[in-house]
Amino acid sequence: MPLDKVTQVAQTKPWHGDIPVYGQYTFGIAGERFFRDIKDKGRIMGAECAACNLVYVPPRIYCERCFGELAKWLEIPNRGVVHTFTVAHADLDGNRLKEPVVVALVKFDGVYGGLVHRLGEVEPDKVAIGMAVEMMLKPKAERTGSILDINYFRPIQA
Amino acid sequence: MSEKVKVWPGTPLGEKDIKEKRILVTEWQPNLKYAWDTGIGYGKYFAELKKGRIVGTRCAKCRRVLLPARVFCEWCFRTVDEWVYLEDTGTVNTFSVAYTGTAAERLKEPRIPALIEIDGSHGVAIMHLISEIDPWKVKIGMRVRAVWKPEPEREGAITDIAYWKPI
Repeated sequence: MPLDKVTQVAQTKPWHGDIPVYGQYTFGIAGERFFRDIKDKGRIMGAECAACNLVYVPPRIYCERCFGELAKWLEIPNRGVVHTFTVAHADLDGNRLKEPVVVALVKFDGVYGGLVHRLGEVEPDKVAIGMAVEMMLKPKAERTGSILDINYFRPIQA
Repeated sequence: MSEKVKVWPGTPLGEKDIKEKRILVTEWQPNLKYAWDTGIGYGKYFAELKKGRIVGTRCAKCRRVLLPARVFCEWCFRTVDEWVYLEDTGTVNTFSVAYTGTAAERLKEPRIPALIEIDGSHGVAIMHLISEIDPWKVKIGMRVRAVWKPEPEREGAITDIAYWKPI
């Protein structure tokens, strides 16, 4: 068999490539207003469907159940509860994090939906489902109109 | 548009809206770098291109030349038997005259992509470019020769052949 086998890793020639992808995502009508409210007014808004008796967070422009228009917007209290959470010890590339990050779904009283965000100012092993948390915003000058304008949610001191 | 739909619903957005920051935008740029192990067959094929040679393999059972070089004959379902060095001359099997580039940009001088049957391979063709000829003079069956890049510029890729020119 005259096909010489590769015996040294250095002999193999990997082909290096790159797929240049760049995306710009716009938030839509409801998303635009939602993030502007966080950025400029520091408040979470929801959209209410009176017919279905539902308040959507994040808000959308129509009700998923009755397809009616969601014209009425209302401010949501910046306090919620931990509905579920996870403690991440690795980043998106699988590298070990120095400090674990706690990610939680925060739900609000009387609201359908919720926000997935980080928890801060708490030891990971102290986090519990049902824990009351409050929104901690970045200083107004640092806000860019992103979900990260909320720095994290932290437990409310009893 | 139809009888019922006079205007498309929606909120049109243009590049201006994004550039002038009239709307909020999340930017996204994933890192999609990759390294593909070329293996024994393609590895040698690329290494030989760097040296200015075209190498394929031959299957002794179906007597076929595999080009680019591969180590497995998918017709006979067996490992191939030998390396076979081919000429850097060939015959145009088919071609096209392209006035647009790969990003759909307009080209002043057209490019002539072609399938070139490599001499010694019994009709196996590779995709490449033809140049040094008036596009209107290119013919199927025309004989061509590889124009190699200068050795220091070669990097072990099919582009180590700059183009093919008529003999």
